Amino acid sequence: MLANAPRLRLVGRRLVQFVPVIVLATFVVFGLLKLVPGDLAATLAGEYATEERIAQIRQDYGLNDPFLVQYGRWLWNAVQLDLSRSFQSNEPVLDQILHRFPTTMLLVAGALLISLAVGVPLGILAATNAGSRLDVAVTSLSSFGVALPNFWLAMILVATFSLSWGWFPATGAVRFSADPQGAIWHAVLPSIALAAGGIAEVVRQLRSALIEILSSQYVRTLYAKGLSPSAILWKHGLKNVAVTLLTVIGLLASRLLGGAVVIEAVFAIPGMGSMVVRAAIVKDFPVVQGVVFTMVILVIAINLVIDLLYTIVDPRVALK
Amino acid sequence: MNAPIKLPSGRIDRRTFLALTGAAVAAGGQAHAQKRGGTLRLSAQSNPSSLDPQTGNSGSDHVILYPLYDSLVEWDYATLQAKPGLAEKWTYPDPTTLVMTIRDGITFHDGTKCDGEAVRYNLLRAMRHERSNVKSDLGTVADITAAGQTVTLKLKQPDSALPLILSDRAGMISSPKAMEEHGRDYDRRPVGTGAMRFVSWADNERVVMVKNDSYWKKDRPLQDGMVFQVIPELPTGLRSVTAGQNDLVYYLVPQQKQLIDRARNLGSAVGPSLLCVHAYFNYGRAPLDNVKVRQALNWAVDREEFNKATHGGIAETTSTILPRAHWACATELSGHFSYDPDRARKLLAEGGYPNGIDILGIGYAEQLQVQQQEVLMEQMRRAGIRMRWERYTGPPTPAAFFAEKKGDLLLAPWTGRPDPSLTYQLVFGAGSYFNAGRGEGAPGLTEALLATRSSDDLAVRKEAFRKLQQIITDNALHLPLLFRPELTAYSAKVKGYKPNLLGKPKFEDVWLEG
Repeated sequence: MLANAPRLRLVGRRLVQFVPVIVLATFVVFGLLKLVPGDLAATLAGEYATEERIAQIRQDYGLNDPFLVQYGRWLWNAVQLDLSRSFQSNEPVLDQILHRFPTTMLLVAGALLISLAVGVPLGILAATNAGSRLDVAVTSLSSFGVALPNFWLAMILVATFSLSWGWFPATGAVRFSADPQGAIWHAVLPSIALAAGGIAEVVRQLRSALIEILSSQYVRTLYAKGLSPSAILWKHGLKNVAVTLLTVIGLLASRLLGGAVVIEAVFAIPGMGSMVVRAAIVKDFPVVQGVVFTMVILVIAINLVIDLLYTIVDPRVALK
Repeated sequence: MNAPIKLPSGRIDRRTFLALTGAAVAAGGQAHAQKRGGTLRLSAQSNPSSLDPQTGNSGSDHVILYPLYDSLVEWDYATLQAKPGLAEKWTYPDPTTLVMTIRDGITFHDGTKCDGEAVRYNLLRAMRHERSNVKSDLGTVADITAAGQTVTLKLKQPDSALPLILSDRAGMISSPKAMEEHGRDYDRRPVGTGAMRFVSWADNERVVMVKNDSYWKKDRPLQDGMVFQVIPELPTGLRSVTAGQNDLVYYLVPQQKQLIDRARNLGSAVGPSLLCVHAYFNYGRAPLDNVKVRQALNWAVDREEFNKATHGGIAETTSTILPRAHWACATELSGHFSYDPDRARKLLAEGGYPNGIDILGIGYAEQLQVQQQEVLMEQMRRAGIRMRWERYTGPPTPAAFFAEKKGDLLLAPWTGRPDPSLTYQLVFGAGSYFNAGRGEGAPGLTEALLATRSSDDLAVRKEAFRKLQQIITDNALHLPLLFRPELTAYSAKVKGYKPNLLGKPKFEDVWLEG
């Protein structure tokens, strides 16, 4: 119990810090939504609008209330896990999010996995062969990966692997709970497209961190002790870059969540990304707010997990 | 594999439409016997706004509503003339009374009977429900009575447009029991008499239907079920058909025709539609309250060049709001405005703008729309009209112009209505939401509008529409450009698809082979 006390304190500290982050993020998004040009009630009324209907919508949705009253009402409901109802479909926003959350998570998890599975070996290869042609090739490839627009890569992948060869589905998604194999099959191409930038990120960060470690004095001492290069790499080198790798994973997970918005549009995946884009276009504010709220909590949760993992990899972090 | 249908360049007239429709059917394998079974998978660009026809607010909903609901009146695919639907016949015993006879023996998907009382309940709800978006469609109805299979509508004034109005949302009949049971949730739990029975709707994902085993139409439905996959990006929707994940995608843009032709496993159908690409004017204030300026704008545009640049030359250019194939079209006015920048400059000078004029346009920010705006901007520049565009994304675009009264004109499509009087009423009628100025655009317009509904004789109505269109053309109340063809692509196993003049696809004659 006592051993866990620093970690519990860390978790408590982080949770307290997260409250203003959530309030600020949702407040800013709420404010930005209000700044979007165009009359929300008129938009909701659609093609068959009449002046009376627009006025009625304004009344029904409380749009005549002051901004702070509207935000306060939303926040009060949100902390009670009532994310309101969609202006468009009248469905509870929470239900919609829970329905789409697994699809987006599968996509993001797949991309993260591919980023690590490809990026870590390439990073190690580049670092252990620093300055060689192999290193130059890997570094160049990772620069290309960073510069590559993922929507373009997505279309190339679809044209090749779906339309020409018919190996993978071109669009859509299957719920993991309904058909795990089908869900993974549908997620392969979008995950690869989403992972391109992540692979490059992992390669570059891992390479530079590992080069730094491998050129440090204690590694020179290990060589002097007669340890084999592979033992130095696996037992000492990688252990010391674990903190860097965790940091990269944390940042990458957040970035992939954002990148899913574009990839979901290209592949017509009914996930949270496509949901928030559609909601923003039709001014379905409760949905946008709900998704942002969920994303913020998700990013916070990821950071918290990474912080806890820091304390396992390097216990000094918790003590600090 | 279906042979691709070659498109004629330039405008498409009624004769061509019928030929194209026939070609589409032939390509779809009309020579083969119709087969039953299979699930038709469709790529739909838009999520339905509601599956309750009375509360929905988007013109794209119809394609998904058609299989679920029968309407009182239906229309002919090629001419849009009214034909019997749930109502097997109707008469006007006097100009202010419409009597409809509902087919006997039809039941809703929940097993309740569709009789005169059910129809009366629906029409009253359409007129009175607080969330109804079709109140104005039934604005001329004073009272409704029902006895057995007969429904009698007492009208405030003669209204011969009602039968075709009842082929649209207002005439789609729901189960009164279901509407009462579900209340607000009826939006998402539709119960009609249509060929398909509702199963599920995952928002922005898919709408699933299965066949109605007790459907009243002989030999229909041909499919066991239908699934509308919501794919907002049209290129992605087309890819889903190419890859075999969907069977058909509709509402494609002309630029995608070449892609379809290049794909070896796709067929396509194209037909004229009522979807008119035009600019709405706000003639309630300066500078477009000046008829000379409005006329100048119309003479400043090279519609053929606009067609080639933005629609691959396959659209029908126009100077009116109805295509030539339509029974009510004043064809002699369809080509009234031609490209004449000198005349446009002269008109501007006569209107008090000898040094040209600045016009603020409202438009969509989507790529193809921006292209159209830029073509117009360049053409108008040659006539001394300096256009500037303010752009919005999606539904806020029309709202900015019609509700917030921003800009002088709005470049946007009008999707059309089965009865042309509704189109004219909504776009040009005094007080209509789509008339940004809300006032009467020209003297005599309101009377001319009323005249289009005063007789149920088609020849009389046609003449009334000609007079109405003449007023609109003389006063240049909008800037009509072209009618966007309805372009649909489908896989080789889809047979029997026919486009219709309304431009809102129906799939009752479609079957799947293999």
